[in-house]
Amino acid sequence: MSDHGHQHESHLADMLADHPDDHTHGGIMQYLAVFAALCVLTGMSFFTYSSYWPFSKEVAWAFMMAVSCTKAMLVIMFFMHLLWEANWKWVLTIPASCMSIFLLLMLVPDVGLRQDNGWAWYSRDRWMFAANKPAVENSVLKLLDEQAVKKHSPADLQ
Amino acid sequence: MSEHSHHPPMLQYQPALPISNGKACLWLFLSTEIMFFAGLIGTYIVLRFGAVAWPKPHDVHLSEPIGAFNTFVLICSSVSIVLALEAAKRNRASEAKGWVLVTFFLGCVFLGVKGYEYLAKFDHGLYPQNPHGQIHEKADLNYAAAIRKRLLDLRAEIEPKTPRTAEDEQKLAVIDQISRDLLEPAETAARENPDSPEWRILMLRLAFAIYPPQYEEESPVGEAFDIGASTAQLQAAPLHLVAFQQNDQTAAADHALGDHDSGHAHGLNDVHSWLRLPVMIPGGGLWASTYFLLTGFHAIHVLVGLIVFFLMLFVTLNRTQIGLIENIGLYWHFVDLVWIFLFPLLYLF
Repeated sequence: MSDHGHQHESHLADMLADHPDDHTHGGIMQYLAVFAALCVLTGMSFFTYSSYWPFSKEVAWAFMMAVSCTKAMLVIMFFMHLLWEANWKWVLTIPASCMSIFLLLMLVPDVGLRQDNGWAWYSRDRWMFAANKPAVENSVLKLLDEQAVKKHSPADLQ
Repeated sequence: MSEHSHHPPMLQYQPALPISNGKACLWLFLSTEIMFFAGLIGTYIVLRFGAVAWPKPHDVHLSEPIGAFNTFVLICSSVSIVLALEAAKRNRASEAKGWVLVTFFLGCVFLGVKGYEYLAKFDHGLYPQNPHGQIHEKADLNYAAAIRKRLLDLRAEIEPKTPRTAEDEQKLAVIDQISRDLLEPAETAARENPDSPEWRILMLRLAFAIYPPQYEEESPVGEAFDIGASTAQLQAAPLHLVAFQQNDQTAAADHALGDHDSGHAHGLNDVHSWLRLPVMIPGGGLWASTYFLLTGFHAIHVLVGLIVFFLMLFVTLNRTQIGLIENIGLYWHFVDLVWIFLFPLLYLF
């Protein structure tokens, strides 16, 4: 078995020796170009956090995730050489990607369920120990809307 | 017959994948890692966006520039390990080793910065759990009790000293002042009129004095904070006194180490670092759990990579070692990949 592995390794080395410029991929300059692109993209997602970002926070989140996915694809394609690999790459990457995407999709309903949106309520215990909703703090400080305080107070849920 | 059975043409070994066993194993490992981190990140997203409250980055001493710097460091290290592979392909062993050394160094820088960030959080009592964790979700009676206990502990520590220094006296004065002007009014109000929101205002005033929150201006919380500030004028005088009594040295030290605190307003815990009072950070407990879990698992991966890089420094990295360099490179790029997602999710969201 190890003999085979050794053979394979030396075979690989031979192949590379035969074709020293085997990398049809552009070599070091291309890596540096990818590096520059990664730096620019990092700067772009950092920009969304600055006060110069003209759009809303939600747009910033979507933008940052798009930037992150772009960066991930650059790293996978060029640094991990998947762009130049043979078709075996799909055998591993497609099932893993499907399963992780499926996992994330399955978690989506939890985000909705956990939000206090009128049809999914916190348990009493959770109200006792969880942080106050910012709106509750607000109303408490305003001393105005006692109705709102009552509605959200844990005592009301007992 | 026997000759034929000795060389059966149909039994030639065909590898399932046209790559070395090591690389196939590493890719299989990486595909499990993708699912591992997808689960962690997915859970973080559920908890983060389903949470009633979540601390702003500066509330928990997260510094975006430091996070961006670490991202840059990891990207650089990804490039350097790729260059090591290219050098090895050209059979330039010493050049390859140089790039591995650079990668090792950059990985150490990443972990060092991460450690510095962790320390900045530990310094402020931001641990995921007791006994070190000082995070309270809301300013309720439990919070007041925790502060009272901490103040009593501090007093018990300082009072028995027979020759008390001027500093000790100052500390005792600060403790007295906090309990007299901030803690006791809140507790008294809660005891005498538990149905009125008044005690909650006083409790919030106490919490904000200890650890002022960073709120967005346009959010309803921002309004709340503005009102909190105007009510804070009522007790501006005592707070002023407390701040006044600190000696100039600590003030200078505070300014000197203000780097990782940039953007975070200074409260009593910052002015008097020895106080270490419990802090009120809505959503802070969940934040601490997820932050330390995600960055901790990532840091473990970085550490494993560093160990391999260190061992590689003792190997001649010529053309025969292409497989080794490629495999550790794949692993390292994956570590970089995870950080690419963790950085915006943890620092910028």
